Amino acid sequence: MAVSRTTLKSLYGVCGVVYRQPLLFPSSLKCASIQITRSKFERDYQRPGQPPDTRWPWQMINFDFSKGVESVRKHFGLLKDEFFQRWIGPEGKPIIEHMLEQTRVVWEFRGPESLNEWIVSSDQEIGGRSVAYVSLGKNNTTCLLYGTLSSTPPRDGETRYSGYCSMRSKPPKASFDRKKHYDWSSFNTLHLRIRGDGRPWMINVSAETYFSHQRDDIYSYFLYTRGGPYWQDVKIPFSKFFLSSRGRIQDSQHPLWLDKINTIGFTLGDKADGPFQLEIDFIGLNNDCAHTEEFAYELYKKNP
Amino acid sequence: MSASHHLLRLQCVRCLSHFLGTPVRQVILPGRAHLQTPGSQHIYVQLLRPFHRSAVCSTDRQNRTDIEKLVEDETHHKDKTLVTHDDIFDRAAGDSKTKVEFNRVVDVFKSKDIRRRGHVEFIYAALKKMPEFGVECDVTVYNKLLDVFPKEVFVPQNFIQRMFNHYPRQQECGVQVLEQMENYGVMPNIETKVLLVQIFGEKSHPIRKFQRIMYWFPKFKHTNPYPVPHVLPSDPVDLAQFCLTRIAADLDAKITIYQYPSTDITETGEEITRPHIVGIQSPDQRSLLAKHNPCKPVFVEGPYPLWLRQKCVHYYLLRADPIPPEEKVEEEIDPEMICPEQSLFFPQRVELDLNVDMGDDHSFNVDEVEEGAVYAMCMAGQGDQATLSQWISGLQETCPILGQIPTVFRLESGPRELQTSTDDHQRPEQESETDQIIEDDEEPRHSQGVKQ
Repeated sequence: MAVSRTTLKSLYGVCGVVYRQPLLFPSSLKCASIQITRSKFERDYQRPGQPPDTRWPWQMINFDFSKGVESVRKHFGLLKDEFFQRWIGPEGKPIIEHMLEQTRVVWEFRGPESLNEWIVSSDQEIGGRSVAYVSLGKNNTTCLLYGTLSSTPPRDGETRYSGYCSMRSKPPKASFDRKKHYDWSSFNTLHLRIRGDGRPWMINVSAETYFSHQRDDIYSYFLYTRGGPYWQDVKIPFSKFFLSSRGRIQDSQHPLWLDKINTIGFTLGDKADGPFQLEIDFIGLNNDCAHTEEFAYELYKKNP
Repeated sequence: MSASHHLLRLQCVRCLSHFLGTPVRQVILPGRAHLQTPGSQHIYVQLLRPFHRSAVCSTDRQNRTDIEKLVEDETHHKDKTLVTHDDIFDRAAGDSKTKVEFNRVVDVFKSKDIRRRGHVEFIYAALKKMPEFGVECDVTVYNKLLDVFPKEVFVPQNFIQRMFNHYPRQQECGVQVLEQMENYGVMPNIETKVLLVQIFGEKSHPIRKFQRIMYWFPKFKHTNPYPVPHVLPSDPVDLAQFCLTRIAADLDAKITIYQYPSTDITETGEEITRPHIVGIQSPDQRSLLAKHNPCKPVFVEGPYPLWLRQKCVHYYLLRADPIPPEEKVEEEIDPEMICPEQSLFFPQRVELDLNVDMGDDHSFNVDEVEEGAVYAMCMAGQGDQATLSQWISGLQETCPILGQIPTVFRLESGPRELQTSTDDHQRPEQESETDQIIEDDEEPRHSQGVKQ
């Protein structure tokens, strides 16, 4: 992402010199002609039938004073934490604990503020009719993701399949909204405690990438639920995650690198219309020394 | 004699027959005897299908079937408009939409024109119609559909054609056929591969898609630790048994069928249908129920959903509320039963997990979710209180303590409870909870609308 932003800024800089002179040009034409430089693969999803968003970057900022005061307090607090935490150890934990720990709980749902870290979406964004909600389960100790799926595709002429919902964690932010990543390099298994209703879900982990064509790279694996009233412990080693981009599994596979993880998400897209629910107790990591597999998918030459 | 000579002679036969106005069988070629072997006199009879004949010079007008006429109508008489083939399937099938009809329409299209004009549109229409005819999970039908493509025409012959995405529309159509197979989870055949190689060549997009399918499908076929068979049992009792063993999560759990589905006709002529009631309970659950405090009620909760592929079934639970911490009774464990002073000859707990090293600790620093114990599970044909009371009374035979414990029915709980928790006050009449004291198989006495 860093590369594309600098190229964009340089392009603006160059074009600003050229295009600023004829002010008689209508602004939409100007915006469209320059926004074209950002390739179609870098833009966010554009709903068919909607005009593209051709605002200048400074038109997208909106100032709000009360939010500004709160955010100043929040960001300086985060900055202070960052400064003082490194005297204790990485991420505020003593180094002995960081080196010797074999399990870590990354998300647990013990209060309503834990739900603010997650974004729930369904195919309403593309015009479908599924709904998905997230709430706290009984006794406020679990997260309940529930809703209804409907696989009738939206009638926009382009979309052929529909009927999905997803819950994705927000990417971690350092002070002043800088990007931060999770470092899970000392673990090799994902451990979840869930209670589903028999539907097959999919876990998507997205890591930090360098090139802009990698922006939709997601490492996924299946989460099969048994159903029933008992909790289910699911252990998935990270060597099983396969690479996919925009929903298509890729030909050149490589293992997931755990040092810069951004988000984790759950998605449901089995073509069964009807209500669904998934209850999550906690999401944790485990360092299973007995698991020595590095990657589960062997590669072959494409054109031998 | 080579095949091409045979074909040439066949064409001569056709032309002759057309010229002479006689059916083919009666044409006798001169000098036939020294060319053919004695056994091949039947060849001409067998090759009577219209092989090198275009639709224009069709000889036997009376023998054409309805479907052929339909297909010709669609494609030839409507040549000023866009050719759409959806109607062919609808009109040819009529009432019954089965595999046989589908195959027949495809055969007719294939036999009509050797050049297969409009085959791309036909294949797209056929792909759309497959779910209606119920053939979307049948690999033979997909192979038949791929057979519609003319062979060897789309194979690139030189490096320029190989570079420039030779026949892109047909390749896209082939990819879409494979995509629909992938969508429905149909595993392709060796026949599919042979067909694709014959049609598109070795390095084409459909072959690449086929290779991807053949790589990933076997890898993901057995990833489900709780597999659901494609064909579920149709008998509700068998289905209930399968589902209950699945959710019980305990191999010691035993299933009891309390009632089989039956229909009785009473003297007055009324039909009484009795739904099936299948329950499951494991020895651990039974011992927990035996230790339950009779002053606290047990709840019959449900219906909870359980999804099996496309089918949703519902089950009911018998559970208790979680015990508050002040009333928890600590179980006294005999020190001789647990290591390090455990008796070597009668160990209570044997930990033979060789994966775990001596200093390893794979437990998570999370509080356990406090939930009430589940004592039994059941699936019933109807979810009303009468049926479930029958289940409870059946359960009482193995757990006599149920006679002293009050049972409360919470029949609207489950996922619907969360969605309607905000309209709790607006729908009080639907939540029917009655305190029941079942003693010695007496008829339950209903109290007046006691709400929770």
